[in-house]
Amino acid sequence: MANQDDKPYSEIEEEDDTEDEEEEDDDFNEDEEEEEQQPLLTPESKMQTQRSQMEQVFHRISSERVPLRVHDVLIKGNTKTKDFIIEAEIEALKTATSVQELLQAATIANARLRKLDVFDSVSITLDSGPPELPGTSNVVVQVVECKNPLTGDVGVFTKPEARSWSLEGSLKFKNLFGYGDLWDGSLSYGWDQTTEVSAGVSLPRFMKLFTPVMARVSLLSQDWLKFSSYKEQSLGLSLGLLSTRNHDLAYNLSWRTLSDPSQMASKSIRRQLGHGLLSNLKYTFKIDRRDSPLRPTKGFAFVSASQLGGLFPDYRSLRSIRQEFDLHYALPLGFARAALNFGVAGGVIFPWGSDFKNRPTSLPDRFFLGGNSSPVCTLGGPTSLLGFKTRGLGPSEPKREVKTNSEDANSDTSERDFLGGDLAVTAFADLSFDLPLKVLRDSNIHAHAFACTGSLTKLTENSFREFSLQKYKDSFRSSAGIGLIVPTKLFRMEVDSRGTMNPETPNHVRVRI
Amino acid sequence: MDESIETEPQRLTLVTRKPCFGLPTACPSCLPVYIYLKLANVPFDLSYNLTFPDSDQIPYVDSDTYVAYNNEKGGVIESLKEDKIVNLDSEVQDLPEWVSTTAMINSWLSDAILYELWVGLDGSTAHKIYYSDLPWPIGKVLYLKQVYNVKQLLGISKDNAERREEEETSVLRGKLLEQPNLALYADKHKAELLDAASSSSSDPSSSSSIPRRGPSNWSSKPKSKPKRERTQEEKNFRRKAKYFLITQMVAVLVFLSLLGGSDDTEVDDVDGDEVNMVDGRMDRGKEPKIWQ
Repeated sequence: MANQDDKPYSEIEEEDDTEDEEEEDDDFNEDEEEEEQQPLLTPESKMQTQRSQMEQVFHRISSERVPLRVHDVLIKGNTKTKDFIIEAEIEALKTATSVQELLQAATIANARLRKLDVFDSVSITLDSGPPELPGTSNVVVQVVECKNPLTGDVGVFTKPEARSWSLEGSLKFKNLFGYGDLWDGSLSYGWDQTTEVSAGVSLPRFMKLFTPVMARVSLLSQDWLKFSSYKEQSLGLSLGLLSTRNHDLAYNLSWRTLSDPSQMASKSIRRQLGHGLLSNLKYTFKIDRRDSPLRPTKGFAFVSASQLGGLFPDYRSLRSIRQEFDLHYALPLGFARAALNFGVAGGVIFPWGSDFKNRPTSLPDRFFLGGNSSPVCTLGGPTSLLGFKTRGLGPSEPKREVKTNSEDANSDTSERDFLGGDLAVTAFADLSFDLPLKVLRDSNIHAHAFACTGSLTKLTENSFREFSLQKYKDSFRSSAGIGLIVPTKLFRMEVDSRGTMNPETPNHVRVRI
Repeated sequence: MDESIETEPQRLTLVTRKPCFGLPTACPSCLPVYIYLKLANVPFDLSYNLTFPDSDQIPYVDSDTYVAYNNEKGGVIESLKEDKIVNLDSEVQDLPEWVSTTAMINSWLSDAILYELWVGLDGSTAHKIYYSDLPWPIGKVLYLKQVYNVKQLLGISKDNAERREEEETSVLRGKLLEQPNLALYADKHKAELLDAASSSSSDPSSSSSIPRRGPSNWSSKPKSKPKRERTQEEKNFRRKAKYFLITQMVAVLVFLSLLGGSDDTEVDDVDGDEVNMVDGRMDRGKEPKIWQ
């Protein structure tokens, strides 16, 4: 309920990017009484009086702590949304003890309410409190719920994990039950023949948890027939339990099937085909202090992901521990916007449970190196290594040989399946710099020179017994090259010429997007 | 086998489903291949796939880059014959009795086995063979799906379930009980091939030891009539179902020709009557006296 006075004395309208207080008006109870007792004045002198009052107020706010407490918080405009959802986001307002604190809390509350994504507009008004209680304020939170709760979206996205593009269409339904719940269904088709159909719900407040909770059901199909002779289909449920800026904890339960419709798989792949139940908990810690994810010139970034599999009570579910990390550092060189980017990434996966030393790790969970994604932009474990084709590094086995009618005893090109590895390490160094032409500089087209190295080894099935440092050093493969990067609004195109320190792989020029 | 492997000298591996019930592999489509290789004296390793019950590629024989899948070229044994790795049937496969007997096996007998394994006995036998090593939710779903498929294949619905049960199992049971020679013969070969194998194989079954008790116990029967396949196509299924009988017949031939056939291990044609009941397409008049 607003004050008896129907004119709100103060109003705070927040823009998304504002945190400064110059745009806010403010006024207080103390001034209200004085104003009522003033004699009638001409409009100009009235305005002047008000202006001088405002200046006094601003001066007071900026120079000293002005005590104020919140008497009541009123929420208006929510016909569907439950009160407690909104109240949870504006907790800090109730405990403010000064004007400055109140303004800051109001800014934050406004941003959090907008982030719920269920309101068309949010405004927080600081009104004067009841006249018998000086030094108090009533806060009025006015929300306008989404008129159209259903939104659709179609787009082309890049997915660093899948190292490819995907075409995605999604439908979102906002606030179906009034709990700030966001429902979405999406269909995505990837350029590497990955298809995914999924539906999910996100709840800002679930029981006593202070971070949003998400649940997602997805049906995924990935085709790796060309590289590893298997197709992966999985039906999964994932629960996001904790999600803040730096931490993310999720539980995933899925039924995964590996099959080989081409019937050309190599021996190790043949032995891996079948159904499996994954039940794992994944914790990710991420911190990114670089100035830009696409062309970092200073700062660092670190990601660590730990995954523990085999939590389902059934002992036959897939059991393994997986740990990976990725560290990037960008060093500015002070000229031509040049920067030196370094990165090192590593990962290991190992099974646990009975007979863990003899068991192989599950094929899709292993590490695969190679592909076309830029190591500078990809943050998330040892995955990318320029100069090698997708999954092109590491242990491999010859595929099945089928005798043709033409009496060729041996085929010339015996194809191979890439099996991935249990221990992966990559490192890169990249020097990027602007080109001398102004037109290129203005469109942010720049050049870069890079070198990267990586290794992928198998540890399971007692392979770790034959592990030796010399053999490990020999297993590293490296590549180096130079290229041109053309960033556009939609994507980042890279033209590289690179060579590998590996006699079998020829040097080549590649265009990547 | 030393003389037949021209492709590569690597050791063959036979990948089958798990061992159960005292058998080196309890799956009725895998066991014939096992027995065939044993009868041919081909050295091979045995490996198990416990996670893919609905694959029609299993059983398969492989060695590094060579694979003979179950769903190619008419089956594993046919592929091995074609690739000149092993061939026990060269002398008999043109005999008319052979053709008629195999056709008989491929029709009603295979349906009865299918019924017995998946619908009769609550399907617990099939569950143990195919799904006991899969995590519970997956095993349960796949099992129910397969039972449904088998019922569709056999045309069983709620209305005719009881009638079909009588038809399939009582006839099969009755007729097999009337063939003590067949049972003896099967037991004899089991002793020679399978029990010896189970003691030397890497993964001997620890399940109940039933087969010695003879034909009255159904769990033993899948061994002597191990032609039951879960594929969708009836044609595929019937083709695979003939393997065991072929190997049995050939072994008897060999035995008789080498040792003079002192036993009357004559296997009569399993009566024309039961054939008539189902589809009557068999040639009832003939007795498959192949070995005379």
